[in-house]
Amino acid sequence: MKHEMSKKLVLLSVIGTMVAMVFMASSLVYPHPLLLVLAMSIGQGIALFALVLYLLAVALDLQAGGPIYIPPEENPAVETPPAAGGGSPPA
Amino acid sequence: MFSIHTTEQLLKAIALASAVLSVLIGVWYIVRRPHLNRLTKSMLLLGLGAFPLIVSLTGNIASFEYTLSRPFCGSCHVMGPYLRDAEDPKSNSLAAMHSRNHKFGENSCYTCHADYQMFGAITTKQNGMKHLFKYITEYANTGPDGEGGPTIHLYKPFKSGACMQCHSATAKKWVETHGDSADAIRSGEMNCIDCHNEVHPLALSRRPATAKGGSK
Repeated sequence: MKHEMSKKLVLLSVIGTMVAMVFMASSLVYPHPLLLVLAMSIGQGIALFALVLYLLAVALDLQAGGPIYIPPEENPAVETPPAAGGGSPPA
Repeated sequence: MFSIHTTEQLLKAIALASAVLSVLIGVWYIVRRPHLNRLTKSMLLLGLGAFPLIVSLTGNIASFEYTLSRPFCGSCHVMGPYLRDAEDPKSNSLAAMHSRNHKFGENSCYTCHADYQMFGAITTKQNGMKHLFKYITEYANTGPDGEGGPTIHLYKPFKSGACMQCHSATAKKWVETHGDSADAIRSGEMNCIDCHNEVHPLALSRRPATAKGGSK
């Protein structure tokens, strides 16, 4: 549950940061007073909020037991044990 | 071709490069959706923490530097006449003469209008926010040079201290030419612009057709 939550938080944080970066970069390229003030206040606010969300996601992830649970079918490092009664007999 | 000649341009380039890197990391995460292992977390810490921090720091400084420049002051349309006069090589107004002075250069507006005190830069920028608010609420829909809007005026009287940053009030020639007024000017009873008043001849308040706007 916490892993899912942290995944969502990270995604939200990434989107927020991208919006903030585009906002702030545009104010540097087109430095109109209004854009500049908005970018350097709201833009930085969004970026800061996004960073807080990311740190929260990492904290949740660590609280839930370290690296996120990866289902075996998605993780090639873990082999799925053979089903009972199935598979080849030991040599 | 983009070239870097000043510190402001260098800071701007660093900020833009950091913003691009941050966005690239964001795009990489959204497209690939990697598991949150140590490598991903480190990459995201760079993209969501370190690079945005660099953008904020360098961007703020670069933006602040830009706000000191004449093109920034002239970017609101009501400042058009002031800017045109200041940049006119034939004009003999005080603004134009000082703008032609190498010491003032691109920052001629700020050099004369900034508050001359310990926190002068901060109080000046606070007034800048006030300018922006007034521009949006009172001047945004005015004519090409601000016609139809209220008369533009300073928030407080222009102090001679700004002039005396360069023009010493104790220099022999100055004392000789200012005679009896010298003490009054030094004490602030008289201001330099009381006599040297051809500062911004194209200012809205000096144009009879628009003077009816009245000052606040």
